[in-house]
Amino acid sequence: MTTPLRVAHYINQFFAGIGGEEQAGVGVSFRDGAVGPGRALATAFGDAATVVGTIVCGDNFAAEQPDDAQRAIASHLGDVKPDVLVAGPAFASGRYGLACAHACLTATRLGVPAVTAMHRDNPGATSFRKSVLIVPTGESAMSMPAALEHVTRLATKLGRREPLNPAEVEGYLPQGNRRVWDRGRPGWERALDMLLAKLHGRPFVTEVPYNAPEKVEPARPIADLTRAKIAMITTGGLVRKGNPDRQVSANATRYHRHSVRDLEQLTPEGWEAFHAGYFNHIVNRNPNYILPLSFLRDLEKHGRIGGVHEYMYALPGVSTPVAVATGLGQAIARDLSTAGVDGCLLVAT
Amino acid sequence: MISAIYEFALTTGANRVVRGSRIEHVCGDPGLGPEKDYAYGMRIVTTALDALTTAVSGPTLFDPVHGASTAELARV
Amino acid sequence: MSERAGMRLTLGTFPVTSIVFGARTSYDGGRLTVDKTAALAAVREDARIVEADLEIATPGESVRIWPVRDVIEPRVKIDGPGVCYPGMCGRDITTVGRGRTHRLAGMGVVEVSSVNWHDSGGDFVETYLDMSGHYGEMYPYAKLQLLCLVVEPDRELGDEARNDAVHKAALAVSDHVAAATRELSPPSTEVFELGAVDPSLPRVVYIWGVHSPQAMSGSPTAFGTATYGLTRLTPAWLLHPNEILDGALTGPYRTAFAMSWTVANNPLLMDLYRRHGRDWNFLGVIALRTEWTTQHEKQLIANQTAKLAAMLGADGAVVTWDAGGNEFIEVIRTIRECEGLGIKTVFLTSEDDATDGAPTMLEPLPEADAIVSTSFFRNRTLGVAPVPPVARVIGLPTKAMNDDLRAGVGAGYERLVPVSGTLPPPWRYDDHYGFNSLSCIE
Repeated sequence: MTTPLRVAHYINQFFAGIGGEEQAGVGVSFRDGAVGPGRALATAFGDAATVVGTIVCGDNFAAEQPDDAQRAIASHLGDVKPDVLVAGPAFASGRYGLACAHACLTATRLGVPAVTAMHRDNPGATSFRKSVLIVPTGESAMSMPAALEHVTRLATKLGRREPLNPAEVEGYLPQGNRRVWDRGRPGWERALDMLLAKLHGRPFVTEVPYNAPEKVEPARPIADLTRAKIAMITTGGLVRKGNPDRQVSANATRYHRHSVRDLEQLTPEGWEAFHAGYFNHIVNRNPNYILPLSFLRDLEKHGRIGGVHEYMYALPGVSTPVAVATGLGQAIARDLSTAGVDGCLLVAT
Repeated sequence: MISAIYEFALTTGANRVVRGSRIEHVCGDPGLGPEKDYAYGMRIVTTALDALTTAVSGPTLFDPVHGASTAELARV
Repeated sequence: MSERAGMRLTLGTFPVTSIVFGARTSYDGGRLTVDKTAALAAVREDARIVEADLEIATPGESVRIWPVRDVIEPRVKIDGPGVCYPGMCGRDITTVGRGRTHRLAGMGVVEVSSVNWHDSGGDFVETYLDMSGHYGEMYPYAKLQLLCLVVEPDRELGDEARNDAVHKAALAVSDHVAAATRELSPPSTEVFELGAVDPSLPRVVYIWGVHSPQAMSGSPTAFGTATYGLTRLTPAWLLHPNEILDGALTGPYRTAFAMSWTVANNPLLMDLYRRHGRDWNFLGVIALRTEWTTQHEKQLIANQTAKLAAMLGADGAVVTWDAGGNEFIEVIRTIRECEGLGIKTVFLTSEDDATDGAPTMLEPLPEADAIVSTSFFRNRTLGVAPVPPVARVIGLPTKAMNDDLRAGVGAGYERLVPVSGTLPPPWRYDDHYGFNSLSCIE
C-alpha cells in the first residue's frame, strides 16, 4: 500500500523545453524521471507516487502522424510499465489537448489507467471526455498548481485501482454516464440550501450541469426546387383513421411509414391524430395541418416542386428520449436518402 | 422543420426552422376561415421550401408572416 | 400587504391514526369514525353519480388502489371567509387564507374512478397506489390512512361533466369527514402569517409552474391543479401561501406527486414559509400556468412572470413545475428572464432519459445554473421493478395495457390485465416538489 506508484508523464515539446511552435513537429522521445512541469507533478504526488519517466511528443507530430506517434508512445509505455499515465495539463491548447487525449486512449488500450487535464472547452475535452478521464482546468498555466493537485488525487486512485466516484464528486468532466443516485436528503431541502448559498454568494454545485445540445452540419440547399422530390415527416402522431396500425400516443419506439402516392390530400375520413401532448381534434378535422400534403400536391401540380415522395413518416413526438429520437431520425434519413429524396418537411407539434 | 415553438427548435440545433401557427394546427389556422386558413398554410409551406433552397451555416429561423428569411439566430 | 389584508391563518391539526366505519362520523383521539351511509348520501346528492362506495386502505396492507385520480387532505374552514378548496366544482370563490382552518392529517380521501381526463390524444389516467412494497414506499400515500371513494358518474354525460362530478364527490367526502372536527379543539395549532421581518433578509418568491391541460384537452375545465377552480391558461397568479394552505391550488392530477394532497403538503412551500423572518423574507407564491402553444405566448408569459417577481422585489426564486413536455419551455425561460432581472433562481426538477449522454433537460439553457434534480421522471428509467401481486384491490379489477405500457382505463384494443397481479409501475414517478432524496449524478 505504501509503495509509491510508478507514474509516466506525457508532455509536449514546449513543456519539455525543446522549443515552441517551430519544434511542434518533433517526434516521440523518452526521458527518465520528471521533466519541466513533471517536477511540480512529482511534488504534488508527494510520497504516493514517483514520476519514473516522461514521454515527450511534438503536438504537430501527434496530429499529423498519429499512427507513428501512438505506436512510439505505446512502446515506451510497454518499457516503463507505469501504474498510471498522466498527460498534460494542456489548459486551452487545442492540439496539445487532443494529443493528451490520444495518449490516454493508447495507455488505456494497454491496460494502463490514464488521466489528463485541460480546459473544458479544449477540443480534446469536447471530443474525448466520454472515453478519457479529464480534469477541468483554467485556461492558462496560471492554474497549474490547482490542476496538478486535482490530477494527482485522481491519478493516485487510478494507480491504486480504487473505484472512482461520480464526476460531480471527483471533479472530472462528466462522461455521459448520468444515472440514478440517492443524495440522502430530500430535494426540497437541497433546493433551499442551494438558494441560500446562491443568494449569499457562497459556492454551490448544480446537480444538473449545462449540457449543450449537439450542433449539426446543415445540409446543402436544393439547387432546383422544380426538380426536387420532397418528403414529409410528422411528429404530430398522425395515424390512419381508427389507428389500425396501433400506433402509440406517446413513448414511441418506432415510426410508421405510410404511402401517400394516390392521395391528393389527407381527409378526416382517412386520417386522425393520436398524440398525448396536444388537443387532437383540430387536426382530426384537417390532418393536413400536421402533414401538409394538400399544399405540396398543389405546388406539384403547378410545377413548383418536382414531386412528392410516395412515403410519409409519422410518430407521436411525446416523451421520446433523445437517444431513441436519434435512432429513429437516422433510420428515416437513411430511407429518404436511399429513395433519392432531395428535401424534407418535418412538422412538429 | 416547421414548428410553432420555433426557438426551442433553434436552441436544440435544428438548422432550418419555419415558424408554424400553433401546436394544435401547425400549418394553418382554422379561426381564419377556409380560404385564409389555406393561404396561411400555403405560405408556411412555401417558406419551408424556400428554406430548403437557402444556404445556412447554423440554426436559422424562416418566418412566414414576415416573408423573407430572417438573419441567423445561432445563439447556441 | 399582509396586515391590511389580515392574512393570518390558524391551522389546527387533528392527526388520524385509524379510520373505521361506524354509526356516526366523529373524530376521537386519532380515530376517525365514518358513517358510510351519511357520507355516501352527501355524494349522491349530485344526481350525476350512479355508483359510489367507500373503502379503507391502511399502511402496510397488501392492497392496491386503481384508478387513482386524486388524493385530498380533508380541510375545513372553521372561521374566516370562504371554504377550503375554493372554486372547485362550483364551490365558493371567496379569497381564503384567513381565520381558522382544521385539517385531518395523516390521511387522504382518494378519488377512484374510471373517468378519464378527456377524449383527445390518448392521455389516460394511469396512477395506482400500493400501500406496501417497493413501489408503494416511493410515495407518501403508503404512510397515510386512506378513505377511498370508488365512484362512477352517468356514462351518458360528457367528459367535462364526468370529471366535475367525480371530483365534486371526492370533495363531498372530504367535507363530510373534516366537519367532524368542527366543534373540537385541535391537539396542535400553528399560526401562519407573513409578518414584518429584518429588512436585510433576502426576499424570495416561489414560482410554481402549474400545468393547464386546456391545450391538450380542448377544455378549459378538464383535470389539473386549479387556481380557485380555474385550470385554464391565464397570466401568472400571485397567491399568499395561506391561500394554498386553504386549498386554493388543488385538483386531480395525472402524477401522484402533484395531487391535491401533495400540493397542500408541499414540503418546499412549508419550509419556505416556516423560515420566513429567519432565513429570508418570503414574498409569496407566483402560480405560473403552463402549456401555452406558441413561442410568442410562452416567451410572453415568461417575461411577465419574471417581471411580477421583480416588481415584488424578489432577490431570489425557487422554481418547480409539474409536467413533462413543452411546458418546460416557459418554465426555463421564466428562469432565464428572472436571472436577467437579477433574481437568483434555483430550479427543482426531474430529468429525462440520459441514454448516450443526451441532455436531460428538454431545452437546456445556460442561465439555469442552479438545478436540483429529483431523478429521472420515468419509472422505467429509474429501474423500478414490476409490482408484486396484492391480496386486495380497491376500484377496478383490470387495467388496460398497451405496447407502450401507458394506457390506463382503456381505449378498446389494449389487453386487460388483472390489477391484483404483477404490473409494471405507472409511467411517471416525477417527484415535483422534492419529497424524496432520489436524484441523478454523473
